[in-house]
Amino acid sequence: MFKKLFIAGILVMFTLGSLSAAFASEGPSGNKRKGKYTYRKVVKACFERGAVDSATPKVSPADKKQAEWKAIFEDKNFSEFGCDQEWAGSSDKDLLDIYSYFYNFAADSPTPATCK
Amino acid sequence: MGKIKTSCGEQILKTTLFLIFAALIFMGRLPCAFASQQLSGADEALGIKLAKQAVRADKHWTTTDHSKMEILKQNFTSGDQITQACLSCHTDASMQFEKTIHWTWEVPSEKEGVMNGKAGHAINNFCISGNAMEDKGCLSCHVGWNGTEGEVNCLACHGKEKFNYKEAFEDLKAFEGDDDPDTLEIVKEVQAEVKNAVHQITMPQRENCGECHFKGGGGDGVKHGDLDTSLANPNKMLDVHMAAEGADFTCTRCHTTVKHNIAGRLYTRPAAAERTSLIEDDMATKITCESCHSNLPHKTASKMNDHTDKVACQSCHIPEFARVNPTKMWWDWTKAGDLKEGKPYVTKGEFGKPTYKSIKGEFRWEKNVQPEYFWYNGSFANTGIKDKIDPSAIVEVSHPLGDKNDPDARIHPFKIHRGKQPYDKINKQMVAPLLSGPKGFWTTFDMNDAITRGNTTLKVPYSGEFDYVETTYAFPITHMVAPGENALNCNECHIRKNSRLASITGIYLPGRDRSNFIDSLGIIAVLAALAGVLLHGLGRFFTRNGKEE
Repeated sequence: MFKKLFIAGILVMFTLGSLSAAFASEGPSGNKRKGKYTYRKVVKACFERGAVDSATPKVSPADKKQAEWKAIFEDKNFSEFGCDQEWAGSSDKDLLDIYSYFYNFAADSPTPATCK
Repeated sequence: MGKIKTSCGEQILKTTLFLIFAALIFMGRLPCAFASQQLSGADEALGIKLAKQAVRADKHWTTTDHSKMEILKQNFTSGDQITQACLSCHTDASMQFEKTIHWTWEVPSEKEGVMNGKAGHAINNFCISGNAMEDKGCLSCHVGWNGTEGEVNCLACHGKEKFNYKEAFEDLKAFEGDDDPDTLEIVKEVQAEVKNAVHQITMPQRENCGECHFKGGGGDGVKHGDLDTSLANPNKMLDVHMAAEGADFTCTRCHTTVKHNIAGRLYTRPAAAERTSLIEDDMATKITCESCHSNLPHKTASKMNDHTDKVACQSCHIPEFARVNPTKMWWDWTKAGDLKEGKPYVTKGEFGKPTYKSIKGEFRWEKNVQPEYFWYNGSFANTGIKDKIDPSAIVEVSHPLGDKNDPDARIHPFKIHRGKQPYDKINKQMVAPLLSGPKGFWTTFDMNDAITRGNTTLKVPYSGEFDYVETTYAFPITHMVAPGENALNCNECHIRKNSRLASITGIYLPGRDRSNFIDSLGIIAVLAALAGVLLHGLGRFFTRNGKEE
């Protein structure tokens, strides 16, 4: 009896844990760390083309909330970044990584980007 | 005819009165007019000539190209590795640096058992205490790669490029073992960026010092008022010494350095007691204006030269501080801890600066602030956490020392930062709440618990009861020296009402002060002169016996 209860308890805990993990990973599944460097690469290429003034990105993840980044990346509307050519040339994987970076360091995220 | 006689007498009287008043006005204005004339004259003042001589040889060059050094071509994976590479040539640098206040954050006080400095028993009325370096929030400005642990970060002061090494090393570690070609490319790029930054070695530039000193107290311009990010690249109107089109000084031009000890601290050694000229010793341990400009900075016979034994140069030449960026003037800890829907919040006000933060309380910011003036001999009286206070009065946490009888004291401008902060009600001492970290006030919003924890870090007993007391903290104003033409006019101080020196009492200041006795004598003298002239005129008039001219 005790053994059954123990197993049932373990199963309940496992189920709850899995559900929590599922909710916690609601955001995009790309590599946020890679996304940061890929984003910098996009801006650098854009700067070398002469489309922006600086190779240092001016748009930071902390400029907007997670829902706003979600809308931008789902619509693929990158007009405020000002580097249309580079965004259009980015692969889906690169875009997912960049989206993960912006989403995970958004203003309302647990760790908003500072001056990184 | 009678009419002619009368108007002639009136004319004499009017002319005489006019001449007397004109003479009085001229004599009263003479010193100021003369001073102004000296300023605008063609000849250069002695003080300017000496200053130019003192800095004429200030040309730095290097014989080392750090990018060619093999040891700096490695793929660094930590800050400590970089420092070890530096030390392979500069063998004693860390040893020297770790003895300085920049590393220890402590300096012995004259009071027994008391250490000054952020890690000591000193407090302020901003974030109050460094809690013996237990408050990790403060450690972002400690010159180590990892707070107080590990090696000195040489590049904090000697790195030309502002580079986020911490982020780079964290990322490199996270990418370890990832064979994805994209990742390998990123790793290669990050390593190249680290190397490039490590190769950019320099003497400390304004940005290096400013990274902490412009942002003291937790943000740009919070603490000093005359030190903020506007001084990273100032124009001549903001600072004649640091402007590129001016003298283009870096901080170390005045804050001279011996064995990594940087001159200019205020805890020890009165500034005015040692007046070594840079011409005599360009490594003089503490630079004052006089070190370059001498005590006769203005042209010969200028009235302004007569001020230098009692008035600091800064008093006239820094008419206002915080002239580009605002500075914090008031911090009220009693208001801290208010939450909205259980969460801390921030309210921003004028200048886009926060006027309220749940974690810190209420603030007031000001721009173009007129300094307050006090006698100052180069030293401060500090109220530390171990000192007894009188909570019924405003507590001067830091206040300049000196008085009119002190030969080393001058009337000097200050920023006075006011605020309210907690103290121990029973022991009548200031307290040092722990702010950052999981147990700090910024997380728990429990001030009593924060004080208990903070005082424990400093081994100072806490009664368990606290209240708030109003405090002041004085910062000498010495940067942001304006061009000569923007220096104060005489009548900013030598004026009856609203004199800048209204708070400097116990001295006679011409123009500001009056003596009824001397004033009465003067009025009698003027009236007597007028009466004499009048009597003389009337005498002449009536003794002509009707003779025509």
